[in-house]
Amino acid sequence: MKDSNIIEANESGAVIQTVELCKHYKGGEIKALDGVSISIQKGEVVVIIGPSGSGKSTLLRSLNLLEIPTSGSIFFHGEDIAAKNANVDLHRQKMGMVFQHFNLFPHMTILKNLTIAPMKLLGKTKEEAEEKAMVLLSKVGLADRAESYPSQLSGGQKQRIAIVRALCMEPEVMLFDEPTSALDPELVGEVLDVMKSLAASGMTMLCVTHEMGFAREVADRVVFMSDGVIVEQGSPDKIFTAPESPRLKQFLHSIL
Amino acid sequence: MLALKEKEENKLDWFNSFKEDFILNFVDKGRWKMLVKGFGNTLLITLCSVLIGIVIGVLIATVRSTYDKNKEVYEKNGGAKYIVMRVLNAVCNVYLTVVRGTPVVVQLLIFYFIIFAFVENGLIIAIIAFGLNSGAYVAEIFRGGIMSIDNGQFEAGRSLGFNYFQTMIYIVIPQVIKNVLPTLCNEFIVLLKETSIAGYVGIMDLTKAGDLIRGVTFSAFMPLIAVALIYLVAVVVLTQLVKLLERRLRRSER
Repeated sequence: MKDSNIIEANESGAVIQTVELCKHYKGGEIKALDGVSISIQKGEVVVIIGPSGSGKSTLLRSLNLLEIPTSGSIFFHGEDIAAKNANVDLHRQKMGMVFQHFNLFPHMTILKNLTIAPMKLLGKTKEEAEEKAMVLLSKVGLADRAESYPSQLSGGQKQRIAIVRALCMEPEVMLFDEPTSALDPELVGEVLDVMKSLAASGMTMLCVTHEMGFAREVADRVVFMSDGVIVEQGSPDKIFTAPESPRLKQFLHSIL
Repeated sequence: MLALKEKEENKLDWFNSFKEDFILNFVDKGRWKMLVKGFGNTLLITLCSVLIGIVIGVLIATVRSTYDKNKEVYEKNGGAKYIVMRVLNAVCNVYLTVVRGTPVVVQLLIFYFIIFAFVENGLIIAIIAFGLNSGAYVAEIFRGGIMSIDNGQFEAGRSLGFNYFQTMIYIVIPQVIKNVLPTLCNEFIVLLKETSIAGYVGIMDLTKAGDLIRGVTFSAFMPLIAVALIYLVAVVVLTQLVKLLERRLRRSER
């Protein structure tokens, strides 16, 4: 069973593929994820939408094992990283993650925030890491804040730094967990712009968000989740203009 | 006129008796040296116990918070690691319960008369007893500090690819130290005063020195007040240092 899945995952060219992923709490009483199978192709931008408590964040956090799935498999380049004794730390290096609350390291300067992981984990020298960090910083327009501390920045700036921090590890996939939900409305745009240009550069992205405009504009595929399962998925056009399931219709009706 | 003279004489009397008392208690036979030696022992016990306490405290806090934070992973993967961590965690819990649940005097007496009955040097026993005692409190201070760090910091560290210990060392511990340093220093001020019971096992610490002088000179006021003043000055000085440190730490917090 597992072997055939690995072959399947490899042949389909999926970067990430989950098979019947389940996450249960309280001995199965609460099912945050109830058998989710999804595969993400290289370069694909997938946006996950759904009502709160639908399991979309849990799914995203399961992919790099911040949540440990109760059962099921997660194939990353064909290797089951949810299996016992898989080297999770190594896989996480290749999956950047951006959090709702930024989670920058408050005791370090921005530059240190960006360079510590590449230096300690990728064996880069200080010069190499800083050079790369400065290039990325100027891309998001924050090169002048390299010596600042996180608490001196606005929410939008913090989130752009958080994206750069993940990018400094040169990941193959970027996971975004409601990256704009904690931001003041006028700061959302600057973060979405960074994400858009990242998508345009061909990065494989998985994004949980409530920004339907972003989903419509950037996503290759929109996935609608409810009650721990994928209810419907397809192109943004199909999902937003021709939804099939009543649950999705109701959800779109309530937010648009 | 006469009353005034009497008053002046009284004043002189009081001054003279104070002077006599002072000479009797501190100058005669170089008794002040006992206080100096006693204070030296008090400082020595405190300092050594602090070091032992920190080592034990950090080890226990590491075990307990590692177990708490990784419970889910251990339970899933099972195996030897899970069993070892469970046993270690249980041992730490028993230690904390026993140490924090019994008076330090009783612990000291048990160490002196039972566990280390064969050791002659009371000083070493006191250092071990106070160190083990302090370790339990330091452990809880550190654990509280680790637990107070937002879980998002752990997650951010892990998501970059750091393993649990790298996340602790590079990201969590530097923030913990900053948070717990003032509390930790206060714990040591408490410890300084707690060592005053070392006299129970025949060590001449500051308190015991004062008490010995009182026993010889049969005057209680002078030696005991002197002892109290020395403790007070030591504690006030240390407290001021902690305040300075706190202010320093706050300044670097941007």
